[in-house]
Amino acid sequence: LKAFLILCLCVFAGDILHLMTHVPLPGAVIGLVLLLVYLVVRRGPDPELHKVSSSLLQNMTVLFVPAGVGLMTQLPALEKDLWPIAVAIGISTILGMFVTAALMHLINKARRSDADA
Amino acid sequence: MPMLDALWRDAVQSPVFGVAVTLAAYQIGLFTQKLCRGATLVNPLLIAVVLLVGLLEVTKTPYADYMKGAGVLSFFLGPATVALALPLYNNLTSIRKNALSIIPAVLVGSITTCVLAMAIGSWLGASPAVVLSLGTHSATTPVAMGIADQIGGQDSLAAAFTLLTGLCGVMSFSAVMAIARVKDWRARGLAIGVAAHGLGTARMFQLNETAAAYAGMAIGLGALITAILAPFLAHYFVP
Repeated sequence: LKAFLILCLCVFAGDILHLMTHVPLPGAVIGLVLLLVYLVVRRGPDPELHKVSSSLLQNMTVLFVPAGVGLMTQLPALEKDLWPIAVAIGISTILGMFVTAALMHLINKARRSDADA
Repeated sequence: MPMLDALWRDAVQSPVFGVAVTLAAYQIGLFTQKLCRGATLVNPLLIAVVLLVGLLEVTKTPYADYMKGAGVLSFFLGPATVALALPLYNNLTSIRKNALSIIPAVLVGSITTCVLAMAIGSWLGASPAVVLSLGTHSATTPVAMGIADQIGGQDSLAAAFTLLTGLCGVMSFSAVMAIARVKDWRARGLAIGVAAHGLGTARMFQLNETAAAYAGMAIGLGALITAILAPFLAHYFVP
């Protein structure tokens, strides 16, 4: 339970920092950075924090289900622009994913062959 | 069966109802995916959502009653996001070594999703509010809602778009990586984090933990880039 408290405290501290500094990042992402700093200082998580975190992360998808149900109740509002929305999201998501993976792959390959030469 | 009806109406008032049906529907989704040998098009999230919408519809249960319990699950997204620090910590040396390829890849990837979504949306004649909300679709939900609001979009639209984006990213992931011929899990994770934020990252935890660490990092960097870029694009696409 102590581990869960640490996670919640990080979210809370992140929220407060977000309100104070107006950084365009949500509190949870700032909390992530805080926890990362904590881990670096402490040289790694204790076993309990490790256990709690991995069970949360393993089951993260189920946490999106309620939002998905909420979306379905909104569908009538989206109906008018359904096609533009579907095409815009489909193409830009797939191409964005493609470009990111390909670019990192290419740069790594170039750097490796530089190192070999 | 008026007695049963009354019993059901009282039962759904309990917060346990929302949590229990959500977990049950998701279990059915996971099981169905296993039956189909993990086919990515059989998505457990999608199955769970369809089942639940059907259940609420058939039993005439209001969405608000369902959310009394289900909202508890949404709360756990905060601690889960913070927990991403652990895989990041475990991959810190590898991330530092690859910073020179990570930063340009995330930058170009985020610009691609943001610009393309707004361009296609406005080109196909979507209303201005939709076009503006489309720009943030690959950012993590709270960021997307905040920025959409700030540039004249709608936060509820933005939330819906990020969710659709996450589903799209998860379901197309294997095919896209096969076409790109990228087998490196670091690049794969980074890509799905940029394009499909938390939902993509959640999927990586079922496939490869290094990929999940890179995806988690991409959520943060991508959100930052979108936050800076979207306001400029807003002026361009919706003058």
